[in-house]
Amino acid sequence: MVDMPAQNPQRIVLPPHRERARRPRIVRLREWARRNLFNSRAGTALTIVTAIILGLLIYGVIYFVFVDANWRVITDNRWLLFAGGYPMDQEWRLWFSVGFVFLLIGLTYGTWASLGRRDHLFIVLASGFAILLLAHGGAAIWSTLWYLIAVGLLYAGYAITIRMPREAGPGRTLQQRSVAGLLIAALPIVLIVLLAFGGARPRELEGFVLNLVLAPVGIAGGLVIAIPLALGRASRMKAISWTCTTYIEVVRGAPLLGWLFVALFILDDVIGGELIVRAMVVLAVFTAAYMAEYIRGALQALPGGQSEAAHAVGLNQFQSMQLIVMPQALRISIPPMVGQAISIWKDTTLVTVILPLRELKGNADSAIAQFEFTPDRIEAYVFVAVVFWVVAFIMSRISQRVEGSLGIGER
Amino acid sequence: MTTETASMPARDLESAEDIIIAENVDKWFGDFQALDQISMRIKEHEIVVVLGPSGSGKSTFIRCLNRLEEHDSGRIVIDGIEMNDDVRNLNAIRSEVGMVFQQFNLFPHLSVMNNITLGPRKVRRMPKLDADALAMQLLERVGIPEQAEKYPAQLSGGQQQRVAIARALAMQPKIMLFDEPTSALDPEMIKEVLDVMQELARSGMTMIVVTHEMGFAREVADRLMFFDEGSLVEEGTPQHFFENPQEERTKLFLSQIL
Ligand SMILES: Nc1ncnc2c1ncn2[C@@H]1O[C@H](COP(=O)(O)OP(=O)(O)O)[C@@H](O)[C@H]1O
Ligand SMILES: [Mg+2]
Repeated sequence: MVDMPAQNPQRIVLPPHRERARRPRIVRLREWARRNLFNSRAGTALTIVTAIILGLLIYGVIYFVFVDANWRVITDNRWLLFAGGYPMDQEWRLWFSVGFVFLLIGLTYGTWASLGRRDHLFIVLASGFAILLLAHGGAAIWSTLWYLIAVGLLYAGYAITIRMPREAGPGRTLQQRSVAGLLIAALPIVLIVLLAFGGARPRELEGFVLNLVLAPVGIAGGLVIAIPLALGRASRMKAISWTCTTYIEVVRGAPLLGWLFVALFILDDVIGGELIVRAMVVLAVFTAAYMAEYIRGALQALPGGQSEAAHAVGLNQFQSMQLIVMPQALRISIPPMVGQAISIWKDTTLVTVILPLRELKGNADSAIAQFEFTPDRIEAYVFVAVVFWVVAFIMSRISQRVEGSLGIGER
Repeated sequence: MTTETASMPARDLESAEDIIIAENVDKWFGDFQALDQISMRIKEHEIVVVLGPSGSGKSTFIRCLNRLEEHDSGRIVIDGIEMNDDVRNLNAIRSEVGMVFQQFNLFPHLSVMNNITLGPRKVRRMPKLDADALAMQLLERVGIPEQAEKYPAQLSGGQQQRVAIARALAMQPKIMLFDEPTSALDPEMIKEVLDVMQELARSGMTMIVVTHEMGFAREVADRLMFFDEGSLVEEGTPQHFFENPQEERTKLFLSQIL
């Protein structure tokens, strides 16, 4: 601040833009358009051409979605796509899991991030999409109700956690630990609810449910294998580091499709007959190789002073890894890990090609194999694509928000 | 703390025991010799300041004293414990020797409180409440009790270094090693850290301090040591060093930094 001469303090000059800001919106809009869309002859031409193409595209999509398409291929095959061979009388298990996962999403958001206007909009749109799908046929009211309860749980979890104090302290630590613990326990809990105590047999997991089970198992299993793998590769003991390096390079050297063939034809003797277990093992083993490399990169990025300081306060090698090095390395590697998670989520469709496992895409194929729906393959695949996009979008959105609040990238 | 006896060394060094003994210590990095036949004895409560040009082996030497580096030959004995491959000895030594680094090396993912209590809780199995009380006491001592729940990145450099000192003190060490504790600090923060170190010296802690702060060396040190090219070239009282250095290399170095 520069000190102003105190001679005439009563002279206050209004900023010149005040007058302009008062002009009607339409005038400002027109000016914006002139500057950004019609600033030159070439610019004007480009704007018009783009507008025409965009218009045709939007018209095409709207026409397809609301007029041309026959969405009965989806609504009539709703259960087939959603859960396939899962025993229908055990439907509550599916809904219980959905509600539980939604609750967890709410708790996570409330603990590490906050829902913005865009998040609410997304939830409303996605829910509209889901209800459109559910509100058909006999049990329509029940499944819609189940779904709404799940969304209610999401908001309930959010409402509880967002009100808790954010400042560091024992309460905050307890909250973070509890939610993190629930997140870790979530997968086993869901698997138990789906399969144990009179639930489905593993081979009855089908459709969208199968994708939703395979991907987390691949991701969680991958992470569990990846941590020792990364440490092993960085180890000074040559035998260990070579073994881990070989694992990583061999697994990354062939596509997932190839490894699924291995699961189908070779792993039978090793792991046994259950196809879904073989697919899970392959997904985890495959994911681990990539995740290990991300963790190793993070380990190398960590300043050496961290483990030295840990040793200087008396921690042993294991404690230093567990309490100082790994927490920081995992945090650094979250962004690429999320990329890997999204990629394995989409790759769960591959199991359909190789194994007689019927996930969402596979059951969409069955849907259009029915005589009356053969013309509707585009509808089926568009639907599958949208569903995959929605889940991938949720994953990336949550991770972005959580990354932001963990201060990743800052040290 | 009840101090304020006006003159600095109110400690009886004459009758004190040798707490650090180094005999003919060598250290090699590949075929580069970083330490060459270092021998010294340091008494309990003694304050030793280590001087020397960059690359002369100062850090390497004090890092050998808590085995962040392994010496290749010679002997190091800390408070009667032989430094060797025995893990029990290493653990015993590490809990007697605290270290403060040039770059602070605080744990960025832990709060100030948890930075300090980690060692006591995990190594000494101290109950959380006791560890928290100890940490608060130490934060009072280094003058920043109000920062307990913050994270390191939220503190100034001087505050971070003071937390690092508190973290080292939490293990209740008999010896504190300082490796250029003020070199990474902005000038206006150097004093707050030196003040804490001076208070620590007065309280009777045995300290080895690598520093270029000549004021601190002159006022606080009992003994100065000058390292050059991996050798301990000259040692003596501050008076000896600043008025009557013997070796040419010492004179040259002092003329450059004074
Ligand atoms: N880990 C290491 N590997 C190889 N050379 C090293 C290593 N650490 C230190 N050195 C070398 O040893 C010498 C002494 O280093 P250092 O003790 O850090 O010096 P000072 O602290 O006196 O500046 C320097 O030449 C340095 O390059
Ligand atoms: Mg150094």
